[in-house]
Amino acid sequence: MQCKEIEAVLESEGLEGLSPEAHSHLAECPACQGFVADLNTIVGMAGTLPAEEEPPQRVWVALRAQMEAEGIIQQPVMVGVPAGESWLAGLSSIFRLRVLAPTLAALALAFLGYFEFHKGLGFAKVETPAAQVATVAGKTSAPTGQVSATPGSTAPTPGKTVVATNKTGTTARPAPDEPLKPSPSELAASTPMSDLASLEGDVSNRRVADNVAVDRAIRQNLATLNEFIKECQLRLKQNPQDELARQYLNEAYQQKAELLSAMIESGRSEH
Amino acid sequence: MYRTMIDRRVLGLLGPGLLFIASSPLLGTPPPEHQDRHFAVKNRPLVVLQNIVDGRIEVKSWKNSEVVVSSTSNPEKVAIDIEQVGDRIDINASALVASSQPHEVEANFQVTVPENTELQLRTQTGLIYVEQVNGDMKLQSVAGDVHLKEVSGYIIVKTTGGSLICTMCGGKLEFTSVSGGASVLQPTSLTYVTLMTTTGNLLYDGDFARTGLYTMNSGRGVVEVRFSGNNSFDLNAQTNLGTVDNQAAGFLKPDTHASRHSASKFSHSLFATVGQGLAKVELSSYSGTIRILKR
Repeated sequence: MQCKEIEAVLESEGLEGLSPEAHSHLAECPACQGFVADLNTIVGMAGTLPAEEEPPQRVWVALRAQMEAEGIIQQPVMVGVPAGESWLAGLSSIFRLRVLAPTLAALALAFLGYFEFHKGLGFAKVETPAAQVATVAGKTSAPTGQVSATPGSTAPTPGKTVVATNKTGTTARPAPDEPLKPSPSELAASTPMSDLASLEGDVSNRRVADNVAVDRAIRQNLATLNEFIKECQLRLKQNPQDELARQYLNEAYQQKAELLSAMIESGRSEH
Repeated sequence: MYRTMIDRRVLGLLGPGLLFIASSPLLGTPPPEHQDRHFAVKNRPLVVLQNIVDGRIEVKSWKNSEVVVSSTSNPEKVAIDIEQVGDRIDINASALVASSQPHEVEANFQVTVPENTELQLRTQTGLIYVEQVNGDMKLQSVAGDVHLKEVSGYIIVKTTGGSLICTMCGGKLEFTSVSGGASVLQPTSLTYVTLMTTTGNLLYDGDFARTGLYTMNSGRGVVEVRFSGNNSFDLNAQTNLGTVDNQAAGFLKPDTHASRHSASKFSHSLFATVGQGLAKVELSSYSGTIRILKR
């Protein structure tokens, strides 16, 4: 038996999954013994990580709502999660560490930005018949119809949660006669107060720092970023192929994610 | 006339009284306390300073293998914890009381370190000043500015609204800010520069090292580059809604590597080469001006 095979079994099933032949190999192979020792160390360390309170529910709700609004997930159907427990609860149970709350918020926002940045590149690959028809007919700009196929496939699947996007439980691809859906940029641009804004509102409604100057600086910069994001979204709505605008939108999303993350963290440490 | 004289007398009497009343709370406040702590270090020290309150952080180097941390703060309002673990010095300043007044809860630091010290400094509003330190550093600030002079290493500066002035810096520099600007002046051997801000202005005034990579992006601000005649770089400047102000047209040749570029129909672009085009300079602004000058 090869070391790689043993590593694969150990990673997926642990020591219990090893056959007698593998056990005998393990008893003689220093490399595999080292690998088992490393795994045990990691498992032991993970057990000592401090458990903290969950991030506020509104964080998960707002993130989910924002991802739905952006078209990244659509009408989630729970699979493998006990009734009455949302996928957000399943997700949040994984991330109980204090530091992961703002980080996850940042990652989610960065993901949105990344998605915005790359969706233009992905359009050609997932172009649907409807969009092709629309493009040929010149009825609408290409991206509006093409985005809906991608988001469903990129939806996060935390733990055993599976996000299905249509009645059959498979990832949705719009039917040829399905009406074209707006792109994330268009959705965001057309939503004056998005759900993410409610999260921002929650953070913004309380003081994020004891120092007036710091508090003011953070708020002003958040407002600046929001204005800039709006400007870039508007530009992309008019010129969907404008890569420079998309790049700046992506960077603004990332900065906003970092700022919100810092605000959440600051609020926790001071209140 | 008579009334005016009375007014003046009343003011003369009331003025000092009001001043006394206004300053009376301060009488109960003890003066800031100054502390010096010395830490012997061996190899390459790391100083981690987290200043969660107001205040200035100043770091300078010396030849001794010792880190000296001098702090000034009000012990009733600020807690300062300093710990040494091997060659790492951890310094934390945190508020003991809530205060909404600027400079009421403040801690100022002056840190003297060996030249090759690594730094991780974080503050809220005060200035971060680092001089003559040759080590990797990560400097973070919300509203405070960052001034670097004669430093080198892998330098990462992140601010929300604070600006960066980097004079005679070397190594690699990364700057990220929302509204802060950055000025890189007389760089000595900066081989990798990434400056990114949403609304701030960016200025690079100095030589581009051969084979260096320079990226400067500003969403709404001005991006300005002043290069020397003996420099050698490929230039790629793009702006969506702004303009490219090329004041060095006489020194720029058509880009010899132009096949790599494709001008976007949505932006104003300039592709050019200075010298042999050894370094790579990429400038972009969403709606600001890009200005190119020869020194």
